[in-house]
Amino acid sequence: MLYTKTRDARIYQVGIAIFLTVILLIIVIPFWQVIVTAFVPLDIYTREGIPFFLPPTKWTLEAFKQLMGHSQFARALWNSVVITVLGVTISMTLTVPLAYGLSTRNLPGRKLIMTLVLFTYLFSPGLIPVYLLITGMKLTNNYLAVILPPAVSVYNTLVMMSFFEGLPEDLKEAARLDGANELQVLWNVVLPLSKPILLTIGLFYAVYFWNEFFTPLLYLNRNDLLPLPVLLRNILISSSLNEYVEYNAFSTSPIESLKAAGVLITMLPMFLIYPWIQRYFTKGTLVGGVKE
Amino acid sequence: MTTKVLALPSKVPAAEKLSIKKLLRTMWRQRWLYFLMTPTLIYFVVFKYGPLWNAQIAFKDFKPLLGVWGSPWVGFEHFGTFINSFYFTELMANTIIFSVAKLVLGLPLAVIVAIALHETWLLRFRTLVQTAIYLPHFLSWVIMFGVMLVILSPGNGLLNAIIERFGGEPIAFLTSPKYFRWVVILSDIWKETGWGTILYLAALLAISPDLYEAAAVDGATPLQRIWYISLPGILPVIVLVTLLRMGHILEAGFNQIFVLYSIPVYSVGDIIDTWVYRQGVLNFQFSLATAVGFFKGVIGLVLITISNRVAKRLAQQSIY
Amino acid sequence: MKSWKMIFVVFVLVLSQILAACGAPATPTEVAPPEAPEAPAEPTKAPEPTTPPEPVDITMWLQATVTEAGPPPDDWIAYDIIREELGINLEYVIIPPAGDGEAKLNAAAAANDLPDFFQVTSTNRGGERDNLVNYYELGLVAPVDDMFAMMPERTKNHYNNQNLLDLLTFDGAVYGLPAPPSIPKREGFVIRQDWLDALDLEAPTTPEELLAVAKAFTEQDPDGNGKNDTYGIGAFIEGPGVGRRFNFVFGAYGVLDVWNFVDASPDKFELNVRDPQYYEAMQVMVALNEAGVVDPDWPTLSKDEFRARWKQGRFGIMWEDFAALSNKSNYEPFDTNFPDGSWTPLPALIGPGGEAYYGLDDAQFNVFAVSQRAVDEGKMEAIARLLEWIATDGYYLLGFGEEGVNFNLDEKGFINIDGIDEAQAYSAPERQPFTQMRNQLVFYNTLAEISARYPNYTTEGGREMTPIDTYLSFFQSQNWVPAFAKLLIQPPANAADFERFYNEGIIQFVLGQKELTPESWAEFLAGLDGQGAKEYEAAAQQVLSDAGLLK
Repeated sequence: MLYTKTRDARIYQVGIAIFLTVILLIIVIPFWQVIVTAFVPLDIYTREGIPFFLPPTKWTLEAFKQLMGHSQFARALWNSVVITVLGVTISMTLTVPLAYGLSTRNLPGRKLIMTLVLFTYLFSPGLIPVYLLITGMKLTNNYLAVILPPAVSVYNTLVMMSFFEGLPEDLKEAARLDGANELQVLWNVVLPLSKPILLTIGLFYAVYFWNEFFTPLLYLNRNDLLPLPVLLRNILISSSLNEYVEYNAFSTSPIESLKAAGVLITMLPMFLIYPWIQRYFTKGTLVGGVKE
Repeated sequence: MTTKVLALPSKVPAAEKLSIKKLLRTMWRQRWLYFLMTPTLIYFVVFKYGPLWNAQIAFKDFKPLLGVWGSPWVGFEHFGTFINSFYFTELMANTIIFSVAKLVLGLPLAVIVAIALHETWLLRFRTLVQTAIYLPHFLSWVIMFGVMLVILSPGNGLLNAIIERFGGEPIAFLTSPKYFRWVVILSDIWKETGWGTILYLAALLAISPDLYEAAAVDGATPLQRIWYISLPGILPVIVLVTLLRMGHILEAGFNQIFVLYSIPVYSVGDIIDTWVYRQGVLNFQFSLATAVGFFKGVIGLVLITISNRVAKRLAQQSIY
Repeated sequence: MKSWKMIFVVFVLVLSQILAACGAPATPTEVAPPEAPEAPAEPTKAPEPTTPPEPVDITMWLQATVTEAGPPPDDWIAYDIIREELGINLEYVIIPPAGDGEAKLNAAAAANDLPDFFQVTSTNRGGERDNLVNYYELGLVAPVDDMFAMMPERTKNHYNNQNLLDLLTFDGAVYGLPAPPSIPKREGFVIRQDWLDALDLEAPTTPEELLAVAKAFTEQDPDGNGKNDTYGIGAFIEGPGVGRRFNFVFGAYGVLDVWNFVDASPDKFELNVRDPQYYEAMQVMVALNEAGVVDPDWPTLSKDEFRARWKQGRFGIMWEDFAALSNKSNYEPFDTNFPDGSWTPLPALIGPGGEAYYGLDDAQFNVFAVSQRAVDEGKMEAIARLLEWIATDGYYLLGFGEEGVNFNLDEKGFINIDGIDEAQAYSAPERQPFTQMRNQLVFYNTLAEISARYPNYTTEGGREMTPIDTYLSFFQSQNWVPAFAKLLIQPPANAADFERFYNEGIIQFVLGQKELTPESWAEFLAGLDGQGAKEYEAAAQQVLSDAGLLK
């Protein structure tokens, strides 16, 4: 960006940096507590609970070891990856055409479609009607039961539509004059210009599928199908429920640490994917140099 | 740039009453688009309208053995159960307070943070902040409760330790009706604001850099730049998000409230969804939950229609 | 633009790989479980094979004994035995705990898709029967009377309690299998003996003395660490009102829990709050909270947070489950922190009226049911065969593992792990997936089971810990109010509103959000009547006298 680095601009930049630092601290300080919780050793936990400052030598990976050593962990992780990849693919394949169609102002029937779509956003039928549909289709123990009902989010579709609408019309028009059909316009003109929003919406879907525990829990009975969030949730809520505390399945780590470690493990893909997404977020997007 | 965000059905202008032939020709020209949309439309019929068909149990006394269609009709009985319930007014008030407060306080903050991230020159720092502020979104509320207990507990919480150091009395944030609403609203903002910035950041990045260059050439101040380029550029998204949130005004965050609330703060914390959960779980009432879903839809429909009107007027003014 | 397409291509490749690797998503190929399967010997005492011509598919949904441990692996030896010797293809599904499991079961009920055999679950204490009534009224569960003759051993050991069977009898037929209750009267009132000794105090015997001792525990630094970091009493809300963790206060006034079983008679059965003594108990609760001697987080804590706190030495008086209090796995952290610490069980406090009740004996037991669909498909006999096997030849395998590998059996029939590899012992964390059914379908509280589940051991400080003798026997010898009839009382139609009004009203008084005066209390009672309390009481009285339980 070509800002002239005047004195005022520098002062302004310092102000922005301070503001962002404050935000960062507000976020990080409580989050620090989660991190410490995941690494606190059992003896310190039972003595004083979760300290805010943990001496560097005391940090332990025990909770992570226990979780990852769980007999179902590898399987559940893999299931989560499959559900997420399949889910995002199906979601995007269904969402993009609808968003693009709705962004085309002069499409006959657009208003009708919009009304029908919006109606499903406002009126959510709730758990049982969806369950009846899915079991009626014999989709129990099938990943499609987890993926299809939430596959198209109206919210995401409309956000994407709004971005498509913001694209300069003349580029599309130029392509059409060159004889391109709508499919080619979408593929060659619209999508390349919409990377940030495609990544954003893709990320929204991915995070949804990655974290979702309730639908898998409803529709998947076979233990070898369950994804990571279900496994972690069972661990997470078990401690408040075990009446008969005869033996512990996890003996060397406080249950609080297991919960926190579970959360950190779920976040890991975010850390891995983020730099890749970031590249597309920082690059200038409207590469064509279009003037409005 | 367009101002129209949502196209609710409105009257077709007389000028558009063209011959059927022309309409068919337009449709033929757009055949590829229809073709593209077909799978999604089929999807909507099956997976969105299918459940809505089953949702007729809201008006029925649903018996599993009789099926959806075979169960006897009871009309608006379930709606009556909800609307005439003892705490109805209070549930509505709590729900709307939470939902509106989260929107009114959370959305502007997300926009401001997104603009600040967009403005800063320190690219590495920006990446750091961006990554860090998304993280809380991934914490489940059960974990959040653990963290909040460590910070807010009147016995040994960090915040209360600070209050006591400055000579104050410890405050039972989680169990005091005076503070509970703020605990809910602020913890939600803490958790979700960073995640909310993603959308606005994407919108900011979609603004043509030429506009900023032109502004720089004209010697615009940062505030002018934000006011005349950034904000108008993301206004459609802001308006859209606000409108959609209005449509879900009666969703106040079940998972959060369910984990955080306790009997001492029911009066300021109980919302429609927690009530439905308690009533439904205890009494095996499949139809009641569905009826309340319809009720929420009707309220959402009314609000989204009104706010769409308002937005059409205001947003137009602010863009031009 | 190019890179964009590249990414898409790579993405498609990854996807196709995944799909190829896992086949159709509905039928993933068997991925070898990470842990090496053991090579179990053939069971020594195989029964006479009674294999029917075709294996029957049985789906069984149960809660776990140790939720976090996960299910048994697919190559579990028991599956093979059940398939080969019983002719049953068992699909054993562990349903999630609490509300999640209840939602799953209720959704299946709504779709008339209940499993063949399942555990009825509820988030409410004693709510299992209420749910079974619902399933019964919807015609989803089958009568099980015919099954008893098909599983004689099991019926003798597990289903021998006529009271429980009566509770699950609707319209003359039994619709649920009541598992033997978890050990009754298992909770009690305990105090930190070392704190009493340090401050040279006597154990409290009345509510007034309780307040005094709790005050001393809060203010006089009983642990001698120089910090003002202790409270007298610890609790959390478990059950209606303030919950049963304050039983020691309400018992002294004879007003335990919701219903007045102490003064129940054929023409009078009421809510406890109507008893003038309830008001006195409330005054004690208000005084305790005003004095700041109860851990102030109590209204919002969960069970595990409460337990973490007594292990950290936060408070010195509580109501706790004997096993949670004294079994090694849960006691160990406390023992490490306070090698000299010890909890002494106390008898009930004596109220001004001379009453001293300990707790409410309300018979908690698991309920299992057979779906009508399973019976229609002719599976009842197979289910009975499976249950009988679990109570006979499968008993040790499902309860402890394999003899000689996971446990030893001495000549008196007691379980020990002498000479057993530590990681292979039935009590080791690694073995928990293999005995997940034990608390649901296997155990019926024999002496051998109880001593295996709650063994004696030596603490850090060299004290002998005897969970059964020190705590359980003491608790059970106290004056409990028999109240298993409570299970017959169905919640009112406006349950969510009624219960909120009741709970919120009581808690608001206790926490001082509302001043407790005779007037405000009368107002609260009038409000309850506005919620239909009188009708609720009349209905409860009707049900109980119909069942002949009001004498």
